[in-house]
Amino acid sequence: MNDSRHLRDSDIQKKIDHEIRMRDGACKLLAACSQRDQALEAAKSLQTCSTRIMAYMSELQRMKEAQVMQNIPRRSSDVGPMDDRLPCKGKVAISDLRIPLMWKDTEYFKNKGELHRCAVFCLLHLGGEIFDTDMVIVDRTLTDICFDNPIIFSDAGPGFQLHVELYSCCFEEDYSTGSTPRKLASKLSSSLGRSAGKKLRAAMETGPGSPVSNGGASPLLLPVPSVQGPKYHLLAHTTLSLSHVQDSFRTHDLTISGNEECSYWLPLYGSMCCRLAAQPNCMTQRMMSGWLKVRQCGGDPQSWSKVFAVLQGTSLFCYHRQEDVETNIEPVFTIGINKETRIRASEKDPHSKAQNICISNQYGGEEVTHTLTTESREDTHRWMEAFWQHFYDMSQWRQCCDDVMKIELPSPRKPAPITPKQGSLYHEMVIESSDDLSSTVSDILAQRMQELELRSQLGTSPTWMSLFEENLPKSGAFTRQYSPRLSGLSPSSPRGRPRSPLSYQRCPQLGLLSSDASLTSDSDSHCSSPCSHRYGWPEPSSNLSLLSSSPSRLRPRTLSLDAKLSTLRGKGYGSTLQCPCQPPPSSLLAPLPMSSRPPRSPRGAQTTLSCSSSTSSNSSSNSEGNHSPESSEGVAFSRPSPVRRSLRNLRARLDPRNWLQSHV
Amino acid sequence: MSFVPGQPVTAVVERIEIQKLSQGPNLVLGFCIGGGIDQDPGQNPFSDDKADKGIYVTRVSPGGPADVAGLKIGDKIMQVNGWDMTVVTHDQARKKLTKKNEHVVRLLVTRKTLEEAVKQSMSRPGPS
Repeated sequence: MNDSRHLRDSDIQKKIDHEIRMRDGACKLLAACSQRDQALEAAKSLQTCSTRIMAYMSELQRMKEAQVMQNIPRRSSDVGPMDDRLPCKGKVAISDLRIPLMWKDTEYFKNKGELHRCAVFCLLHLGGEIFDTDMVIVDRTLTDICFDNPIIFSDAGPGFQLHVELYSCCFEEDYSTGSTPRKLASKLSSSLGRSAGKKLRAAMETGPGSPVSNGGASPLLLPVPSVQGPKYHLLAHTTLSLSHVQDSFRTHDLTISGNEECSYWLPLYGSMCCRLAAQPNCMTQRMMSGWLKVRQCGGDPQSWSKVFAVLQGTSLFCYHRQEDVETNIEPVFTIGINKETRIRASEKDPHSKAQNICISNQYGGEEVTHTLTTESREDTHRWMEAFWQHFYDMSQWRQCCDDVMKIELPSPRKPAPITPKQGSLYHEMVIESSDDLSSTVSDILAQRMQELELRSQLGTSPTWMSLFEENLPKSGAFTRQYSPRLSGLSPSSPRGRPRSPLSYQRCPQLGLLSSDASLTSDSDSHCSSPCSHRYGWPEPSSNLSLLSSSPSRLRPRTLSLDAKLSTLRGKGYGSTLQCPCQPPPSSLLAPLPMSSRPPRSPRGAQTTLSCSSSTSSNSSSNSEGNHSPESSEGVAFSRPSPVRRSLRNLRARLDPRNWLQSHV
Repeated sequence: MSFVPGQPVTAVVERIEIQKLSQGPNLVLGFCIGGGIDQDPGQNPFSDDKADKGIYVTRVSPGGPADVAGLKIGDKIMQVNGWDMTVVTHDQARKKLTKKNEHVVRLLVTRKTLEEAVKQSMSRPGPS
């Protein structure tokens, strides 16, 4: 007895260790994830592993307690005629889980605005087994959350408790923290508007990052590791038991935790439909088999037929030969063993050595009795025991023993449907700090500056100067970078060179963005399909073909980066994106004094002014967190009228409430 | 003409070639556009799918180059001289149409009647 207990202990300990390893793996994966889907999957595995560990540890605890209890000598009065009979175990399967949602009809039909999405999955817990379903992304276009795969628990007793828990995690794009490095992420959170930044900071779990693994030490004190990344919250739960088992679909009530304020909230209807089936072993396995002599009552008293009988399910199958059982030949006859069957051992027959067993059934009003006899008394005893056990099982499993319920085996997992790549800037912005981009970029820009000098002598505007003139908010990030350098290197500007490296070094990440902007310009030399998000900058020209020699590995990132920047700007985050990293304001105020000087060329003025206006809009977005970039740009300086007009035009053009029309 | 993100857009298009008209220092096409990914698509009176952020023709000056070439009000512009117009901002679209060194713009436009015409011709048993 002790041996088996120790075996079970070590078994559970092994399982705990295994789960701890799995959990460590999931934590590492979570930390390394760049895609939101992967992060969610990893978080789901993490949740499952943690729950499993909890369950195993409580099991261990229970076993230890039971051990302690057993060692206490029992009082005689406690020892009653204990019925040692245990019901047989069985398989319990839950499939076709469907949880209806209750969206407000305005949300569902009008389909306006951004989709609020949540990632959900179910944890199913029965006895010592915990399974999780696949993860489903839910938004308001869905009416139900469906988990199709059947989950099968083997080894469940009739008194099973199946806990179903629905976990959800919101899928907002701004809150992804996957791949952005900490420094950038914290700058992002501080540079967004106050309310958005607060939310972001709250969503980002700034835990210690590495899980505490406590494998060999006392398992009961295992702390839950806190990791960065998406976190699932319990949204609803319910418990199913034997009374809910049925061969068809049934609706069960859910207990919902959480309210509308939570980020992970989904409007659940409050119920859950599923098919809960159970196959007790007495229905599917052969409980007893052996040779018997059967005589039908009312027949010839001497006509004993020798058969090989198998007790399974609701019948006693009698075959001529033992081999017939395996080869699926129809039994010679079948005696029903169900709840209405009466079995009794008849009195000792003086003629035979063993007792007879009489099985009587009601077949449509008629009572038919079969008499069985075995070869020895032990056999009779064993058969009676088997029948009693069978009846006991049927009484415990109740409705499951009427008929064998069909349980489908889960089909081999289909690969998850490839969701269209949607995401924000922050998903794909993996900045590898090992790359020394700054030197490459400064080389490129130095070459450009030379070209610019030549061009300005010719009097034509370099095409990308228009970046500064009109595409103000887009290039806000770049302007800040470009203009100091521009003014530093071009002959028409009064600014000295030293400033550019300084401002450059201050924001190396911004340098990346600048280079991306410059690289995009020449990459739109072909018309690609809309979903590649290629974004054309105005008038690519030979001036920029210089950059075709740039490292090609920057290109893919460039395209998505730029496209995402613009898409996000379109969504109204434009101004906030101008400053993905926040250089100290002092460096930006420096260009301001420039504006007071008489501009050498109108272009120069526009350059500096655009820089300073981006400053002011930058500061305005920081302090007020509003979306429109042109809120306070009139404040800091006086401008010549053409610039004011262009800026006003810009304001009108960028206000998303308008639907502009242009005459061409 | 709604699109599913991640899937290629297919549409029945018509090629329209517009010769720009010189009016003083400017080159004029003679129509107005609306839309763009930075605009509010719900206010587009011409689109079927109110989430469509494409560029639509909102006015055609009668007798102007666009009118002569066959551009109709309500057309959605898919391409201009090979440049994609389905995922561009309003300003970019305008710029692609108003390049100073180009005197001809070749547009690919689509409209509902085109799709219907194709469907009808396919369902009707052809004379061949």
